[in-house]
Amino acid sequence: MDELELLKKDWQKDKNKYPKLSYDDIYKMILKKSSSIVKWIFIISLLEFAFWGIITFALKDTESMKRFESYDADNIIIPISIISYAILAYFFYRFFMNYKTISVTDSAKVLMENILKTRRTVKQYVAFNLIFLVISTIAVLFVEFDKDTELISQVEQASANGEVFMFYAKIILVTAVILAVAIGVLLLFYWLVFGLLLGRLNKNYKELKKLEV
Amino acid sequence: MKKELEHNFVELLEKHQNIVHKVCRLYTNNQDAHNDLFQEITIQLWKAYPKFRGDSKFSTWMYRVALNTAITLYRKNKRRIRTEDFDAFQFKISAEAYDDSEEEQIKLMYKAVYQLNDIDKALIFLYLEDKGYKEISETMGISEVNARVKMNRIKTKLKTILNP
Repeated sequence: MDELELLKKDWQKDKNKYPKLSYDDIYKMILKKSSSIVKWIFIISLLEFAFWGIITFALKDTESMKRFESYDADNIIIPISIISYAILAYFFYRFFMNYKTISVTDSAKVLMENILKTRRTVKQYVAFNLIFLVISTIAVLFVEFDKDTELISQVEQASANGEVFMFYAKIILVTAVILAVAIGVLLLFYWLVFGLLLGRLNKNYKELKKLEV
Repeated sequence: MKKELEHNFVELLEKHQNIVHKVCRLYTNNQDAHNDLFQEITIQLWKAYPKFRGDSKFSTWMYRVALNTAITLYRKNKRRIRTEDFDAFQFKISAEAYDDSEEEQIKLMYKAVYQLNDIDKALIFLYLEDKGYKEISETMGISEVNARVKMNRIKTKLKTILNP
């Protein structure tokens, strides 16, 4: 392609057309802070770990949790807490190890892969939390129906009126809607934040991957 | 120790700054964005510099970090870009005198290159810098064969842009 050769000639010729930054200009630049996506991913990921950690702690002190503990459900609560902290530690460790492998001196493809891998760890952790949220809500409902005297008397009253099916259906529906809204809001947030942050990276990575087929 | 490192780095970058300017020119379309990307590349180079071993040439190492920053790490400034800026910046390029038709052709080529996607631009950039397929493949992380295939496709793409 002749035009490309022409362009190459021109490209290599115009050495003096660029701004010439002085030693001081460059020195000032190295003192400034980076605003790369890797930095943002790191900050957001730490916030996510903190968010789920705080939620676990915050729930511990609520009235309903205290009431729940009075049901003598320790044989459920203690293993669940231990497992959830162990899983947090595991994901955090993996996240940190992946983060450390990100190096700007790798090839473009490896760099992109490492960034996406780091993100994937956090995504898996969030998915785990969402599944955990659903399971524990169901578990809590079962325990409440078994132990909460007020609830039990309501169930009894409903069955006396022959409305026990409606009663259960209402509770299941309300719980499902609340869960769906909470998860929906979270997913929307993720979609927005990471759509903005990683959209370009994903596109470029796909472009590189396409070559391998 | 740190002072010495800083001094060596700034001196090297001052000498080789054209490489960074060239990458900025391909990936940005106004002066503010150019400066912004230059800044980010400089920071990334400086952060990676302590691990620079000197067994590869400083300039070769720079290509990789600069392109990686432009393609992957840099968050584009979402500021609105006025079209006048875009044209003025694009065509500040070829100041030297050519005969008219040649100059026109080069302008059209630059315009076509700007329309390529990020990855294609990176390959064209390395090609314009006279890098071999081995270096292109190592920088991008693709095989040499794929680099050749890709390069041919980009040439076809450029042709289509020029002669729609």
